[in-house]
Amino acid sequence: MTAFLPGERFHHGEGLLYRTDARVKLLVVVAFAFAVTAIPEGRWRAFVAFALFVAVAIAISRLPLWLVLRRSLLALPFVLAAVPLIFTRAGDTVATLPVLGWTISDTGLIAVASILLKSWLAVLMAVVLTSTTRPLDLIRALERLHVPRILASTVFFMYRYLFVIGGEGQRMMRARESRSALMPDVRGGGTIAWRARVLGTMVGTLFIHSFSRSERIYAAMLARGYDGTVRFIEESSLSRTDRILGAIAFIALGGLVLVARL
Amino acid sequence: MTIPLLPIYMHIPDGFLSVPVATVMYVITAIIIGAAVRQTNRHLKESTAPLMGVLAAFIFAAQMMNFPVAGGTSGHMLGGALAAILVGPWAAVLIMTTVIGVQALIFQDGGLAALGANIFNMGILTAFTGYAIYRTVVSVLRGTRASMLVGSFAAAWISVMLAALMTSAQLAISDTSPWSVVLPAMLGVHVLIGIGEGLITAGAVGLVLSARPDLLRSATSAVTQKLSSSGYSGESAS
Repeated sequence: MTAFLPGERFHHGEGLLYRTDARVKLLVVVAFAFAVTAIPEGRWRAFVAFALFVAVAIAISRLPLWLVLRRSLLALPFVLAAVPLIFTRAGDTVATLPVLGWTISDTGLIAVASILLKSWLAVLMAVVLTSTTRPLDLIRALERLHVPRILASTVFFMYRYLFVIGGEGQRMMRARESRSALMPDVRGGGTIAWRARVLGTMVGTLFIHSFSRSERIYAAMLARGYDGTVRFIEESSLSRTDRILGAIAFIALGGLVLVARL
Repeated sequence: MTIPLLPIYMHIPDGFLSVPVATVMYVITAIIIGAAVRQTNRHLKESTAPLMGVLAAFIFAAQMMNFPVAGGTSGHMLGGALAAILVGPWAAVLIMTTVIGVQALIFQDGGLAALGANIFNMGILTAFTGYAIYRTVVSVLRGTRASMLVGSFAAAWISVMLAALMTSAQLAISDTSPWSVVLPAMLGVHVLIGIGEGLITAGAVGLVLSARPDLLRSATSAVTQKLSSSGYSGESAS
């Protein structure tokens, strides 16, 4: 349970993608997610073309391949939701399960393979984005893409205090474990309702502490001249390279979507 | 080994929703977030930024605190109903949007094209239904302490079930999981997860009710009075 707070996703490195403006990267990755979603089932050539796009992105990111692959697989526990399609889609029977007698259809297999490939390709691009972009740059990109200010500043403050409050939650969990010694081969703990109440009390305490902390933060901000607007450091506009890279990526994505639809 | 139950079933990755479903959910979610931004700006004024951000970090942390269930599995809470009970539905929408958005953007929990659907299911739906159920139970039972606890439990349980139902519906309409499979599976699992969510939510509300009842007297007004009229109250809980 100690692996509790999510680790840092940024992977230190150098290269073109590290220098690219976070706005460009974010827009390209979101557009890519939609483009991949639009591939019709079973268009294997389209999948290969999209995979080439991802391969180029990984190559110019100069991230270690194993790191990208490992992170992409960790993000895919949802896959089970798609598996029943193997049995339920109408189509020619490919095989029959020995005991249950369920039939696997060819269209079902194609559908499941397509869905899994789509989510994997999209996750790979998201991993490239978060591994080459500092979280704060990503949050500033939101603000500069005109996400409503209150939302952008909420994200900003959340990220600032996530590790503080998460750490407090983590200490509460550790305290709970320390108080509840487990003997080998003896079933520990009370009823589910009792355990839930213990956790509920911890969550409630964490809320009160968080609320009080926000009051102190607000007071500290007032003392430093806060007037109701959160100011972000103004940064330079998009560089020439950013524009060119963004344009290439969007033209390539447009081409891929056309090819996939043909 | 602990298996966090909710993320497996709730954060939809890309590729599982069809383009129309993903797009429609994006548009609906964007409209509601726009309304939430306007509502929250009107009610919470300048103190909003740190309060909302810290509470979003709180929900994120609360989601990580796990709850041993059985057989080495553990559940954890979603928190949409709890957030709505504590700070009102509009602020809860923004808090949950932030949490779910950061989970997708920085930690790859859920897809970016599916983000609209994920925010709708886990943030908007849970905040509004949770809040409505809580308020209804509390007013029907005349605002007693017991009514708040029962209301919190019902709000959390029903909102989790609705989120599961909505996720199933989107997968079924996208032709990713057939109704006959996804619906019983999702609802069956979440009947139990929802009980955990309900008990934890009621426990948390009970604790706040004992320690700082002023924060709960009226969800939204507690927040506004606390921070915008008096500025800093000067007290700090332990």
